[in-house]
Amino acid sequence: MQPTLELQGLRKRFDGTLAVDDVTLAVPPGTVFGLLGPNGAGKTTTIRMLMDIIGPDSGEVRVFGHPRTRADLDRIGYLPEERGLYRKMTLREQLIFLGELHGLPKKTLGAKADGWLERMGLADRAKAKVEELSKGMQQKVQLAGTMLHDPDLLVLDEPFSGLDPINQVLFKDTLAQHKAASKTVLFSTHVMEQAERLCDHIALIARGRVVLAGELAAIKREMGANSYRLVATGDLERLRRTPGIVEVAGSNGDLRLRAETGVDGARLLRELVSFLEVHEFRSAEPTLEEIFVKVVHDANA
Amino acid sequence: MPTPKILVIARREYLSRVRTPVFWISTVLLPLLMAAWIILPSLIASKSRGALRLAVVDTTGKVAPVFVKQIDKARTQGGPQVDFKLEMQPPAADAAAQRKQLDSRVLRDELDAWLWISPRSVSDNKVEYHGRTTSNFLTLEVLERTLTKVLREQRLAAAGYDPGQVEKLVASVDLEKIRVTAEGGKADLGIGAIGLAIGLFIILYMTILIYGQMVMNGVLEEKATRIVEVIASSAKPTQLMAGKLVGIFGVALTQISVWLGSVAVLSAPGLIAGLTHLPAGVNLPTLSPGLVAHFLALFLLGFAFFASFYGLIGAAFNNPQEAQQLAVFGTLLVVFPWMVFMPVLNDPDSTLAVVVSLIPMFTPMIMMLRIAIKTPPAWQLALAYALTIGADLLMIWLCARVYRVGILMYGKKPSIKEIWRWTRYA
Repeated sequence: MQPTLELQGLRKRFDGTLAVDDVTLAVPPGTVFGLLGPNGAGKTTTIRMLMDIIGPDSGEVRVFGHPRTRADLDRIGYLPEERGLYRKMTLREQLIFLGELHGLPKKTLGAKADGWLERMGLADRAKAKVEELSKGMQQKVQLAGTMLHDPDLLVLDEPFSGLDPINQVLFKDTLAQHKAASKTVLFSTHVMEQAERLCDHIALIARGRVVLAGELAAIKREMGANSYRLVATGDLERLRRTPGIVEVAGSNGDLRLRAETGVDGARLLRELVSFLEVHEFRSAEPTLEEIFVKVVHDANA
Repeated sequence: MPTPKILVIARREYLSRVRTPVFWISTVLLPLLMAAWIILPSLIASKSRGALRLAVVDTTGKVAPVFVKQIDKARTQGGPQVDFKLEMQPPAADAAAQRKQLDSRVLRDELDAWLWISPRSVSDNKVEYHGRTTSNFLTLEVLERTLTKVLREQRLAAAGYDPGQVEKLVASVDLEKIRVTAEGGKADLGIGAIGLAIGLFIILYMTILIYGQMVMNGVLEEKATRIVEVIASSAKPTQLMAGKLVGIFGVALTQISVWLGSVAVLSAPGLIAGLTHLPAGVNLPTLSPGLVAHFLALFLLGFAFFASFYGLIGAAFNNPQEAQQLAVFGTLLVVFPWMVFMPVLNDPDSTLAVVVSLIPMFTPMIMMLRIAIKTPPAWQLALAYALTIGADLLMIWLCARVYRVGILMYGKKPSIKEIWRWTRYA
């Protein structure tokens, strides 16, 4: 199937530093795609280039199956990391304004704005100015402004940063609904827990380069091929000297082992029971956090 | 049919400002003050008691009869503010008692003032005036002038001269001012036209400064509230900046229209003339369509330059404190025409006036002043307009380049060198 969004060889240099270096990725339709990476990895620059807010030095952005045009941006809902609203405008006016900017006719926008205010539980505040609202309410209005024009692709830069817990749930539900409507979501985050729960596909960026990309489940399977969780007591130090074991992590008898490729799990267990009292031994997929730390570490090495 | 993005943005900029009470108060206040300044004094005068109730006691017996005749003439020349209601009182035997009695009548509000003409008046030019107030200078001046005339004539007559002849001999010169123009000699501009020139100059100065800085503050606010990137996702930065300039220009135009409209109404023939008595030599200025067209064109050009300049500064910095350091240069450029204001007014064709009016950032204000006084040669107008349009395009281009990058830059205050580098980003 045609990817909803494709980045091909995007590159951007700022005053000598290569912020984004040959980023290529494809976001399949109807999925939630996580753009992951530590702070300063180039996520925001990548997203700004895909939104045509800054121009790439080289590379191409394709959306909905063709090179991106300005008109395509009206079909995208964008929530930047640095976001806000006009403080003196009323909620309703604000939403109508944002809708008009996305090319919707003004006639239809009153009803749309009212609908979203209703959905966000802000119907009775429609005439209130943004500055009169709590921070949490402002975040809801911000989300409504991003969703109002019913975008086919949602692009969210660190959407969960600064959200209160109630709005975190609201944002996640909105993403889920969006995906359920077979639309596409791309969001960036440096919090791996969120990505792990929400994403179908990921791309990991470090120092401006994509270091890992693909379907999250497949990545985990692949990265977890030789990993085991071991809960045991006994001479744990001996583990490190055991042949076939490459890495031992964890503490207090709750450990993660990584075996050499080709080492069979059953054989390894037999070896372990010979010198340990094993309470639990199973093959374990790594968490995204672990993958992230390892991959970023390897990339920086 | 969706509205073009520039218009969506311009409309928001326009409405969000025009809807505030502050805008309308400042818009209406200026013409109101202007009208009040012109109309109120005469209105107050005509509505107040009017004539000054003045008792005249003449111990010489010679001055008062002539004075009464003269004051009748003077009252028609002093305008509606000045009028007298005279009450002649023969001098009583007991002068002190009479003075006391007159004072008490003033205090009882039966009189406003009384005059005491004595032999001392003829010899030493001293006439006593006792009034409830002595600050009614317009009235007092008429009184003084009339008494001077009467006493002078009497002294001349006493010395054997013919007062009529003397007056002719010592008459002062009246300079007949005629401007030499290509279309032939023209009557003097009059104080009214100069007032209009100064008025237009001041309106340009105020609006360019106020609305230029409004653009700067608007951009700073959009950066501070972090809405700018939300908008930048659907509108190009250039559209955003252009929309802002158009919207705020609209606000300025609205205000200026109200102002110029009220100037036109106030200077309409018959209106002020009917309400006030204008001193001789003051002709009311006329706001010709050509003058208005030049004014609007020059305002557009001046606004485009300075608003772009201020917009650039707003985009480059994070808060008004940082921005102010560079914004001062803009303010200096707007204020500079004040320094050559008098020489240009005095001689609008001098080398100084021509040169300054051809420098793009000074053209709007100085050229306005020149045009309002006397139409400059066509080549100078054409050159000034061309240069200013060129400078405007350059400044708008610079602003767009910096704006595009600056709106995404938060945190550290950039150096001028860094800002310059932004203009060369892809």
